Amino acid sequence: MKRTVVPMGPQHPVLPEPLVLDLVLEDEKVVDAIPTIGYIHRGLEALVERIEFGEFGYVVERICGICSFMHGMGYAVAMEKIMAVEVPERASWLRLIWAEMSRVHSHLLWLGLGADAFGFENLFMHCWRTREQVLDIFEKTTGGRIIFSVNKIGGVRRDIEDSELAAIVATLQELGAGFAETARIFETDPSIRHRLSGVGVLSREDAHAVDAVGPMARASGIALDTRLTGTHFYDRLDFEPVLETAGDCLARVVVRVREITQSIDLIRQAVERMPKGDGAPIDVKVRGNPTGETFERLEQPRGEVIYYIKANGTKNLERFRARTPTFANIPAMIKLVKGCDLADVPNIIMTIDPCISCTER
Amino acid sequence: MANPFNLPMVGRSLRNLVSRPATRRYPSETRPHFAGTRGTIEFDLDTCVFCGLCVRRCPTLALTCSREDRFFAIEQLRCIACGVCVDACNKDSLHMSVDAPRVHLHTGAAPGAPRPGHQEWHQQQPAGSPPGPGDAAGGPAVAAI
Repeated sequence: MKRTVVPMGPQHPVLPEPLVLDLVLEDEKVVDAIPTIGYIHRGLEALVERIEFGEFGYVVERICGICSFMHGMGYAVAMEKIMAVEVPERASWLRLIWAEMSRVHSHLLWLGLGADAFGFENLFMHCWRTREQVLDIFEKTTGGRIIFSVNKIGGVRRDIEDSELAAIVATLQELGAGFAETARIFETDPSIRHRLSGVGVLSREDAHAVDAVGPMARASGIALDTRLTGTHFYDRLDFEPVLETAGDCLARVVVRVREITQSIDLIRQAVERMPKGDGAPIDVKVRGNPTGETFERLEQPRGEVIYYIKANGTKNLERFRARTPTFANIPAMIKLVKGCDLADVPNIIMTIDPCISCTER
Repeated sequence: MANPFNLPMVGRSLRNLVSRPATRRYPSETRPHFAGTRGTIEFDLDTCVFCGLCVRRCPTLALTCSREDRFFAIEQLRCIACGVCVDACNKDSLHMSVDAPRVHLHTGAAPGAPRPGHQEWHQQQPAGSPPGPGDAAGGPAVAAI
């Protein structure tokens, strides 16, 4: 049969960021997809040669506008590991709370974009309205809506008072109760089920084979969650990874919907279990230059991110590298796109939650 | 066969019809900022001693300063509003404000106009010292956005 190549992107209504897929079609079936990235490469990793290690954390946050807190946190934690800095307990708890709030706002953002991709604009508005409340909490506590600049090597730059923490938990629980209705729409609406169920099925074996991470892996039944390793105080909280077994687009939506509720509960647990007391230290002074190299893993909203840092005893790092979750999920996306209908391609691309800014840095 | 009466969105949509909108009539109605909002950098020429601490700490190289020329400049479009310079300043010459004019509203499109977001200040040289570039402007400070 004659083959046709349809270029999709870099500008496409469904794509929030520039990704190019050359789709090779036989009739309406996609037989091959060739991805191209590189449209928004900013050379942030190379900036380590010009910017001192203490200030570079604020640049790392700019890798992405959605996982910005996690990027700043990952860099700070990795540098603290190299420099053997003991971070005050309160700072670690605050980081955990902000990290889980990032997950809530990232998933709400994605659910809106996903709803927009499968033609449910009303739902898109509902998700983004809910997300706005999370951004308000971020602005109150960090001073920024998207880029927070609160992480620094040795701790955090802003404290949240105990009364404010209790108010945040109350707001989030109220938000979660309101979101339950939207969640029910995602899980039960027949048009959504019809559009997503059985589309882009990634089996458990395939997810293993292509090394899927994050909600992509969890929707295929793999309990892969870096938080389970117990680092960054997650060992002090009670939670089970959200798992689905169907592996289709609907399962990936449902995993993210449930993770929002889970993250709100984790924040509640963290606030209950962190030691009380306003005015406790939130940072320590860091002296000297770093030497050595390290890896650090975090569970971002999209999956596992890995940072590699190599320092040579000067004020500038020798190498900084971030392996982002979207980069790990692109092989899974290509595997799913092959064999599907052309009309299902946007949904499959969206359900991996692609973050091209993260991937290209 | 899907149940044609299973319409979970309908109740929500009907409520939206009679409830207040979640959005505001921007730009006539703007949202008030929170107490901790960072905003943009503002500079106080009178207290600055041109030590250059902020310039060395700035992660995006948005600040320029010269002690000899008594000169200080900010590229607001390069600034990422992290607030590191404010923390670094020993003289409280820098602070962050949400009331500053919005940088993106000024395009600087006229020929010879300063770059959008570029702000610079020149301090009058003490008597007897060689003239600096700011003296030609005739004022203690030149600020252009």
